[in-house]
Amino acid sequence: MDTKTTGRPIRCKAAVARKAGEPLVIEEIIVAPPKSGEVRVRIICSSLCHSDVTFWKLKDPPGYFPRIFGHESYGIIESIGEDVHDVTEGDTVIPIFLPDCGECNTCKSPKSNICSKLPFKVGPWMHREETSRFTDLKGETIYHFLFISSFSQYTVVDVAHIVKVDPQIPPDRACLLSCGVSTGVGAALKTADVEAGSTVAIFGLGVIGLAVAEGARLRGAKRIIGVDVNEEKHEVGKKFGVTDFVNSRNCGDKPVSQVIMEMTDGGADYCFECVGMASLVHEAYVCCRMGWGKTIVVGVDKPGALLSFTSYEVLHHGKTLAGSLFGNLKPKSDIHLLVKRYMDKELELDKFVTHQVSLEDINKAFELLTEGKSLRCVIWMDK
Amino acid sequence: MEESKTAGKPIRCRAAIARKAGEPLSLEEVIVAPPESGEVRLRIICSSLCYSDVTFWKLKDPPGYFPRILGHECFGVVESVGENVSEVTVGDTVIPVFMPDCGECRDCKSSKSNLCSNFPFKVVTWMHRDQKSRFTDLNGEALHHFLFISSFSEYTVVDTVHIVKVDPTIPPERGCLLSCGVSTGVGAALKTANVEAGSTVAIFGLGAIGLAVSEGSRLCGAKRIIGVDVNEDKYEIAKGFGVTDFVNSRTCGDKSVSQVILEMTDGGADYCFECVGMASLVQEAFSCCRKGWGKTVVLGVDRPGSNLTLSSGEVLQTGKTLTGCLFGGLKPKSDVPKLVKRYLDKELELDKFVTHEVQFEDINEAFDLLTEGKSLRCIIWMDQNK
Repeated sequence: MDTKTTGRPIRCKAAVARKAGEPLVIEEIIVAPPKSGEVRVRIICSSLCHSDVTFWKLKDPPGYFPRIFGHESYGIIESIGEDVHDVTEGDTVIPIFLPDCGECNTCKSPKSNICSKLPFKVGPWMHREETSRFTDLKGETIYHFLFISSFSQYTVVDVAHIVKVDPQIPPDRACLLSCGVSTGVGAALKTADVEAGSTVAIFGLGVIGLAVAEGARLRGAKRIIGVDVNEEKHEVGKKFGVTDFVNSRNCGDKPVSQVIMEMTDGGADYCFECVGMASLVHEAYVCCRMGWGKTIVVGVDKPGALLSFTSYEVLHHGKTLAGSLFGNLKPKSDIHLLVKRYMDKELELDKFVTHQVSLEDINKAFELLTEGKSLRCVIWMDK
Repeated sequence: MEESKTAGKPIRCRAAIARKAGEPLSLEEVIVAPPESGEVRLRIICSSLCYSDVTFWKLKDPPGYFPRILGHECFGVVESVGENVSEVTVGDTVIPVFMPDCGECRDCKSSKSNLCSNFPFKVVTWMHRDQKSRFTDLNGEALHHFLFISSFSEYTVVDTVHIVKVDPTIPPERGCLLSCGVSTGVGAALKTANVEAGSTVAIFGLGAIGLAVSEGSRLCGAKRIIGVDVNEDKYEIAKGFGVTDFVNSRTCGDKSVSQVILEMTDGGADYCFECVGMASLVQEAFSCCRKGWGKTVVLGVDRPGSNLTLSSGEVLQTGKTLTGCLFGGLKPKSDVPKLVKRYLDKELELDKFVTHEVQFEDINEAFDLLTEGKSLRCIIWMDQNK
C-alpha cells in the first residue's frame, strides 16, 4: 500500500527538548523516510515514563540536546524500509526500547532478553548507522531517545524494536505495555517468578512498583508490602493489590529493612527495588528472606552508581541478586501475551492511567509526574 | 547394640589443641564429657584438614579463640547418645557436618533452603543448646569447640542436628571428604548452580573446593571447564578433575582475567564460581559470566569486613545473577547420603582428592602441607589401628 508520503520526508509536529530541564517546544520537524531495516510509524499516543524525565534533566552525556523524548507509545506503520518483512503499512504496533533481533544466541534463547546483535544502550542515534532521521526546520539534527522518540507525530524505528499487536487493544492501554507496566509485571512474573502464597516487598510505588504489585497479584502472592516515602501512595497502592504499607520516613530509629524483617518474621520471599537507589537495593537485599530470598533490581540508578554488599552476607545468607531489564520479557514473544491477558480482563491496565493531554500540553505531563501527582499521563499526538 | 562401657561417663583421650594462633597444635590428653540431651558422643576414626581450619587457627582475635579443638571434616562412630536422641544409635557410622539440619523448621522443611533457622549456622565456640563446652584439658580449663564439630580429637560431642548417618561400607577416608569441602564444591555445581549439560563453567581458585566444583560440573556434563589460578602447577592436577582450559591470572598481561575469559568464551561463561574468598575476584567472576543468563556463585570465605561492589547498571542491564551458598546449598541429612551412594556407585570420584595421610601425632605436618600448597586433602587418622 503506497501512501502519498512513502519514500519522502514528512513534515509534522513534535515536542522538542532543546535544553536540559526546560519545557519542551512544540515545533514542526522533518522526519526522513525509513532506511533498510527500519519503519516509519505514525504515533497515535505516548505516555510519559520517569526515564524520559531523568534524561531530560541531564545536562551532560548521556543527556543530548536537542532531542525528541518519549518511548512508551502506540502507533500505526506508515511506511517500511528495505528488507522489512515482519510488518507492513497499516499494522498496529507497540515500539519497544529493548531490541529483539530474533537472530542472535540470546534472542533465540528463552532464558534471556538481552539482544547481543543490537545491544541496548541509551544513545542518541538509530541502531544500524549512527545517524538521526530527524531535522528541525533549520536543518539541525535532532537526537533520538532510546531508539524510539515517540513525542512526535511520526518517528522512525528499527524493526528490532517493533512489536505488532492486536488492533483491538485501545491505544491508551497498549502504550503502557511499551515500557513501565511490562517492566514491573515481567519482573514479578518472569524475573522473580513469584509463587502463589508468597510475600513480596516493593520499594518504590511509582508505576514500576505498582506494576510489580499487579504482577504479584496475578500470581496469587499472599502479601504485598509497599514501601514509599509518600504516604498518599498507601491508598493508591491498595488498588494494585498492596496489602501492607511502610513509610520509610516513619521508621524511627530502625532501618526500613528491620521493619520489614519484623513484620514478615524473617524477610520477604521476593524484594523488588523500583526506585534506582543503591542504598535501597541494599535494604531490599537485607530484608529478603535468608535461604531462598530473591532481590530484584528494577529501578534505574544514575550512571556510575555502585551497589555494595558485605562478602559475609552474600556467602552466608543464601539469597539471590538479579536485575530486571524490561522485566526479562522478550518483546516480540511476550508482549502479545500481556495484550491478551488485558483483553481477557485478567491484567488490569486502566488504573495506571490518571491523566490525558494533547501534544500541545505535553509539558503538563512532565509537571504532573515530577510533582508526583500522576501515574501515567497519556499524550495524544493528533489534535 | 549394647551400650559402650564409657556411656554416661567422661572419656579421657588424645586431642590436638590449638593453644596459640598460628602455632603448632599440641597433642594432649583431654576429658570429653558425656553427651547432653540432643547430642551424641563420637569416636572419630579420621579427619581431613580443610582451609577453614587453617583460617581460624591463624586468627589472633575473635572469631579466633584459644585454646581450641579445630577440625570439622571427619568420619566417626557413635559411642553414646544423650537423652531425646532417636535418629542414631550406638555403633552407627556417621559423617558430622558443620551445617545444622534440624529437619523441623521452615527452612529445613523447604527444598529451597539449607539454612536451618532453629540452629542458625555461625562461628561460635560452644555447643548449641547450652552454650557450653564438652572438653576440658587436664588442668580443668574448658576448650573452645570449632564449627560445632571439633574433630581433631579421638572423641567429640556433636549435636544431632549435625549428624548424618551413612552407609558403613564407605571407607572413612572417603566419607570424611563429604563432611565439608568436596560436598560444598559438588553441591554448588549440582544444586546451587544446577549446571546444564553442554555448558561452559569458569572456576576461580583450584583448591579442593574449586576442584570439587569441577568434579560436580563434570558429573553435570559441562562441555568446557575453565580453571583459573595463580599457581601454574594446578593445571596438571586440575585436568584429572575435568578442567579443560587453564588461565593463570598472573600471566594475563595488560588484560584482566575476566577479559581473557570473555574472549576465550566469546561472551562469557554460563556459570562462574568464586572459590577463593576475595571480593575483587568475585567482581571479576561477575564480569565474565555471560550476559543474558550468566550465574555467578560465591563459595569462598572472605575475611571479616570485606565488601563486594558491583555496578548498578551492570546488575540491572545484563541479566546476570549473583548467589552465595554454604555447603553447596546441600541439605546435609538428605543430600550427603546421596553423594555417598554416587561414590559407591563409582560415579562421583573421591580418591583423587586425597594426596596425603598422616597419623594423629603428625597432624602438624598436615597443616604444613596445606599452607605450603603441597596437598589437596590430607587424612589424619585418629584411630591408632590405621
